[in-house]
Amino acid sequence: MMRSRFGIIRFAIVIAAAIAFASAANAADTLNPPHWQSQGIFGSYDIAALQRGFLVYQSNCAACHSMNALHYRDLQSIGLSPEQAAAIASNVKLTAGPATLDDIFKDPHPDITAFGGAIPPDLSNILDARPGGLNYIFGLLTDYAAVPADITLLPNHYFNTAYPGNQIAMPPPLKDNQVTYADETKSTAIQEASDVTAFLAWASQPNLNIQHAIGLRAVLFLIFLAILAIATKRKIWRETV
Amino acid sequence: MSSNITKPWIDTRLPFITAWRAHFLTPNLAPDAPYLGTLPSLITTALVFMALSGFVLSVHYDPAHPFTSLQFIDRNVNNGWLIHAFHETGTTMIFGAVYLTLYRIMVTRAYRAPGEVVWLLTVAQFCLLLLVGYLGYLLDGGAVSYWSLAGVTTAAGNLGGAPGAISNWFFGGPDGPGTLARIAMFHTLLALAIFGIVALHYLAKRAVTAPPPARGQVSFHPYYTAQYFVAFVVFALIFAVLVFFAPHFGENTLNGAPGGPLVVPATVSPPWYLLSITNVSHAFPGMWGGIFGVIARLAVLFALPWLDRSKPDATPGALYRFLVMLLALDILALGLAAAATPSMLTSILAIVFTAWYFLHFLVFTPLVTAMEAK
Repeated sequence: MMRSRFGIIRFAIVIAAAIAFASAANAADTLNPPHWQSQGIFGSYDIAALQRGFLVYQSNCAACHSMNALHYRDLQSIGLSPEQAAAIASNVKLTAGPATLDDIFKDPHPDITAFGGAIPPDLSNILDARPGGLNYIFGLLTDYAAVPADITLLPNHYFNTAYPGNQIAMPPPLKDNQVTYADETKSTAIQEASDVTAFLAWASQPNLNIQHAIGLRAVLFLIFLAILAIATKRKIWRETV
Repeated sequence: MSSNITKPWIDTRLPFITAWRAHFLTPNLAPDAPYLGTLPSLITTALVFMALSGFVLSVHYDPAHPFTSLQFIDRNVNNGWLIHAFHETGTTMIFGAVYLTLYRIMVTRAYRAPGEVVWLLTVAQFCLLLLVGYLGYLLDGGAVSYWSLAGVTTAAGNLGGAPGAISNWFFGGPDGPGTLARIAMFHTLLALAIFGIVALHYLAKRAVTAPPPARGQVSFHPYYTAQYFVAFVVFALIFAVLVFFAPHFGENTLNGAPGGPLVVPATVSPPWYLLSITNVSHAFPGMWGGIFGVIARLAVLFALPWLDRSKPDATPGALYRFLVMLLALDILALGLAAAATPSMLTSILAIVFTAWYFLHFLVFTPLVTAMEAK
């Protein structure tokens, strides 16, 4: 009896240590290979990455890409206070004046001739709408390369190994030190791509945290209930014979 | 009047409670029941659940802006994402249960006399569900749904004669701003019609179920209720896993992009439960071929009780059971080939698997059952 109890405790310590060190290892290097905290059945968003990603979106992507399903008030669910979100909104100039919390993210309406007729897609739902999800978007942002000698690009296009057909109208969007992070994370182009990908993942599935939280509780409860139901059924039916 | 005194007050005014109690407590049921026998009840419960979640969705859904209104439900309606996921995953659960029911009846050959009408109603329910499921998928408003609707309405516009008149009445002409409003209406109407089939199925099933042996009969409560409870909890468990951890199970990812003339998906593949039907329709050439394919695909199911040449009381043979298992694999393969990126190989495989499907029903079923009947 004592033995098995200590066995369980020792087992719990090993598991706890494994989880602690595993997450420490992830925190040390989440970029190579790219790792996202929101993946997997226990996944939840990394609030710091979302805030950094919003900064990248706001200072780069928002110049051409709309996010028509999002309001400035939604920024409160990436950990900003109502005052911070309102301050961000008030810095955005809409035609009717400064934006408020209840305004939709500003639609930049870029000139249709700007990218040779290519229209920058709306980014509200981009991760749900692309096969490959997180890794595809991260690849698209980082996999620009020099044009191979045997390929002639279309006018105003760039060579990108992640994009289907390899010829994309979007210029390479991210450079080192393009933004200055408040939390002093080093803003390499890869870090920016990883952060903005995390932000876009949140934009596509803003309910992921609560979805996984409810899901875990519901599944555990139903497993318990199923065991109880099976035991009850067997007990009741045993009395028939 | 004096006999009324012994009855409860409510029963003299609403003669329901005593009958209900008798139904649940009289020991008149078989003392052993397979868990799969609970499938019709699970399907009915899931249908009620779909009607309720569909009602909530319809309050906020706007057929003029399908994609945007669903995004609004997901993001701005309290727990809207959950109701949306319930409705989406409920479809998967219903079709899973219906496919399992069809397979079970085919393996056990319960479709033979006197079970023909039960089988016909099961297949009719399956057909209606396919139609309602397809219309629901069109209502999604994503890029794949958009192009599927465009393809279907264009094809319908090219039909002549009576089929053309029917499809024109159904879709109201080419795909336009009002089309989805009609489809939302039909989606609701036909979904409610399924409940009518459920009622008929219940009556037909009760009429042909053989009375259990006189010895050892049990009452519905607590014996069957305990068993149904297990079935419901396990069903709910699978449902919860899908809702919370795979809410878009079996769907084409590109349907996450808003539908529009500028976004054309390379593969217009429907949700998983429609895939095998789609592929049969692709295997026949031309527009009429596709229509013929779908009708023939479902007609052989209706004809099954008469394609089976064995005597009603003959024991099912092992070879036939093996063939039914092969058929299930064949339908799975048809679906996988339809979901894959189109290529020469997938179209050849579609023809091979479709050929096997019809061979099974039109050649092997009569042949093997007649052989085994000897």
